[in-house]
Amino acid sequence: MTPPRRWTEAIVAAGAVRAAYVPEASTGRSDALEPAGAELVEGAALELHPVPLAAAPGPVISFLDGIQRWAVVGYDGATPIVRAHVAAAVRRRGPDRRPRTADEATRELVITRLAALSAPVRRALEEAGVEIVDLAADETGQPGRALRAAHGRVDRAREDVERELGERCAGRLGPEEWLVVDGLLSESRVLAEHPRVLGVIKSHGAQYFEGAALERALTVPADHRTSAFRPLGHQHQPVYSWYLRLWPWQGNDLLYGLLRIEARPHPASVAQATALSGWLLRERAPVSTPDARWDRLLYPIHDVETYLRSRAPRDLLPAAGSRLPKTGS
Amino acid sequence: MIDKSRPIPVGRVVATELKPATPHQFHFWTANETTIGIGAIVRVEASERGALGVGRVVYGVVTDGFAYSDLATPLHDVVGAEGDPARAAEAPTVRQEIRLWTAAVLRQIPEEPLQPVPLGQVHVAGDADVAQALRMDAYVGGAQPTPIPIGLYTSGGLEAPVYLDADFLLGPEAAHLNISGVSGLATKTSAVEFLLASVFRHFPAHKGRIAAVCFNVKGPDLCFLDRPGELDAEDRRRYARLDVEPRPFERVRYFAPFKADGVNLNTLRTHPDLVSDVDALVWGLQEVLDFAEVLLNRDDIDAKADAFIDFLADRVLNKEFDDGFGRQHRVQNFADLDALFRAIFDGLEATGRSDMWRTHHIATIRKVRNRLANISTRCKGLVTDDGPSNDLPWGELQDRTVYVVDVANVDPLGQDLVFARVVSKLREHLERRDLGVDAVVVFVDELNKYAPADGPETYVKKMLLDISERGRYLGLVLFGAEQFRSQVHRRIVGNAGTLVYGRMDMDELATPGYQVLSPATKIKLATLPIGELMVRHPHFTQPIFVRFPRPAPLRGRDGVERFPPAADLPFEDAVVRQLVQLDRRIRPNQVKDLITDRTAEDVRRALAGVRRARPEDALAYFRKALGTRIAPAAPRPRHVVPPLNPISEEPY
Repeated sequence: MTPPRRWTEAIVAAGAVRAAYVPEASTGRSDALEPAGAELVEGAALELHPVPLAAAPGPVISFLDGIQRWAVVGYDGATPIVRAHVAAAVRRRGPDRRPRTADEATRELVITRLAALSAPVRRALEEAGVEIVDLAADETGQPGRALRAAHGRVDRAREDVERELGERCAGRLGPEEWLVVDGLLSESRVLAEHPRVLGVIKSHGAQYFEGAALERALTVPADHRTSAFRPLGHQHQPVYSWYLRLWPWQGNDLLYGLLRIEARPHPASVAQATALSGWLLRERAPVSTPDARWDRLLYPIHDVETYLRSRAPRDLLPAAGSRLPKTGS
Repeated sequence: MIDKSRPIPVGRVVATELKPATPHQFHFWTANETTIGIGAIVRVEASERGALGVGRVVYGVVTDGFAYSDLATPLHDVVGAEGDPARAAEAPTVRQEIRLWTAAVLRQIPEEPLQPVPLGQVHVAGDADVAQALRMDAYVGGAQPTPIPIGLYTSGGLEAPVYLDADFLLGPEAAHLNISGVSGLATKTSAVEFLLASVFRHFPAHKGRIAAVCFNVKGPDLCFLDRPGELDAEDRRRYARLDVEPRPFERVRYFAPFKADGVNLNTLRTHPDLVSDVDALVWGLQEVLDFAEVLLNRDDIDAKADAFIDFLADRVLNKEFDDGFGRQHRVQNFADLDALFRAIFDGLEATGRSDMWRTHHIATIRKVRNRLANISTRCKGLVTDDGPSNDLPWGELQDRTVYVVDVANVDPLGQDLVFARVVSKLREHLERRDLGVDAVVVFVDELNKYAPADGPETYVKKMLLDISERGRYLGLVLFGAEQFRSQVHRRIVGNAGTLVYGRMDMDELATPGYQVLSPATKIKLATLPIGELMVRHPHFTQPIFVRFPRPAPLRGRDGVERFPPAADLPFEDAVVRQLVQLDRRIRPNQVKDLITDRTAEDVRRALAGVRRARPEDALAYFRKALGTRIAPAAPRPRHVVPPLNPISEEPY
């Protein structure tokens, strides 16, 4: 079916920027995007700063990322029993430009509502020696609710593993070594206060501006950054942050190629923002394809994910075969 | 020695639905920085707990290699580098890459049941592994071991000797070796020289005595086998590793025909310090007539001519023979034979009889006469009209001795004659077990020329085929070499139990005979360095790459620089030189006085007699052989034999 070209062409002709993006929300999910607020720490208004390419701040850079996998491996009655694997790794890149694993951590979990299980099943679980996360009564009751709760626990477990590993790695960083974390720094005081740790956030569920400032932030051109600001709202630890555009967004989406960088809340972070952004711009190459998020996914982070996926249990992947009922006896 | 005390895996077998492990092939990955390469031998063991195939050991040889990164499409590299190739190299992170190798299975232990290769760890093969992988354990040890070292398998600084099985190289199980390679790198000749040295050193005692007959068909290739060449420390180490003495051949005998003048040897080994070791190769009518078929063009010889030649050989040669016109003949050389022909023509003309002589038509007789007369012209220096012959020491071949027959500068017709006669004599004596040795290696280079895949069925080709197909039972072993294997008669190549390849031409590698090789193996063959070979042998299920040391003898091209050939001498001086070589006491003027006013034929005949007899007093023998000087008689008018009848197009 031919798309309705007439009005789309008309709005572009009227000054709108052409885009092509099918948001996840369009397939059924909806995220509440509430503005959280921000305090500018660089200049009087949110401004755009051109970013020239720059060298890495040190010869050795470490990258931290984590993964999670989970699956319902059984039901006892209507109570789901979830098996989860969470892992995080730090891959250290030296002068030879090749990342190598410096540290890693994994957790294997069983998530369920123990009280809802029959005695034999509960005993079998407790005797298996696995780490059990017990869901509260108000989190279960319906299988769908239990699965949402389990998902949240898996997220939390992964964040815990990432944070623990990040703090361990940050404590061991050499005087010229840097650590790049995939995600928020504000979850950890150690990370948020470290002078050589950056957080790279590629999902933008939370917005910090409104009106003209929001438009300026989300339409920052490629090779530019915004002024630094201090995010407000639900941040656990104070950090400084700024937006950085890796690739031109025109023709794609507002969030295409858009990163938000977090650094320690210190004037030095503002002073270094352009140089650090210039370095991160260089990390655009090599591109992280075939990952769908390649426009925002730095290759070394993609590398950590690839490493973790290669070591994750294969039986937590969706079955490749048909789920049709087996026929015959 | 390869250290096996701590086996460290260098790779791991991987199998996917698209690239599964099979009983004959498997794939494994290694670190990006690895010593594994095409031709490396590896050992696979599934030793991990719970793995399938635990206890099974598989040996393989790497036949192909792949490298790729996680790049989805080339376009993404362009995007990442923003269209600038220079920037691609500046990316802060190197993409993940893989080194994936394909290996062909050499051997599985246990051999039955034959199963897919287990997904186990991959180790670099050590000495014992190489022996197992190539099934050398069957003949390296035991009560009657038969190993012949051919070179060192090397991989990543590790090396292990590779042995051929004498029973499969020199008979009787299989035999013959064929070596291919582009010209100009001296690989083929060097490899054969080294292998001959190895054969002489390691030929099993229970198999008896062995000698080699090498035909030098081009330049000075084999002219200095008894002279030491340059060897460096690495070469000497390899010799020691292979237990072969780094010395030139101790016993070498050279044979070369004369040039047309009958006194200067037709070889590049004519330096004054060396020429005394060269024996003249001179054949007379008797030696030639047995192989007349070689010399007669098959296109114009027929059953009638064949019958007449057989008649001459059986009824005339070395017998008292009545020509039917009242004259007795005893034909011992070409001159005698020509006298017989003249007598026949004269007799037929004088008696006015028909065109037939003893059932042979005069046209047939004329044709055979012309062809035989042509032999002594085209092969002048090899074939003598009327002098005594000088031949290889049939029946007295010595153990571990190389006999070099230098025919490099001989007319192709003469080369054919030499091949045919020498090989036939070898076969004849080996059949009677009276050659002096139990086995003979015959080395023939340029098989493209002597046994081409297409072209006429020459006597030489038939003879080489005969060696290839039946020689192994006799101990007559052919080491053949050529530039293009595809252009050699397939039965000759096919009967070679051992095939050796030096650097190959890509066009040659594109021919069907090389389809079994992987593209990577072909590329390796096309770029093979000097001193490295690919070997196929009945015990090896896959081709193996080996390195061999430089041969200990002086290389031909170095030899002619160190021992430049002497210029051809005038007739008198050449005669003097030959006699002085036989007897140092002889003064040149004595000889020159003797041969003044003597015909060159008389001098050559007397000289040949001295050479053959090797008397105590060479000058006295020479003087006697020359005979009393007799004043030349007035020349008789030459009787030209006119044709009896004009020869028709179809005289029969």
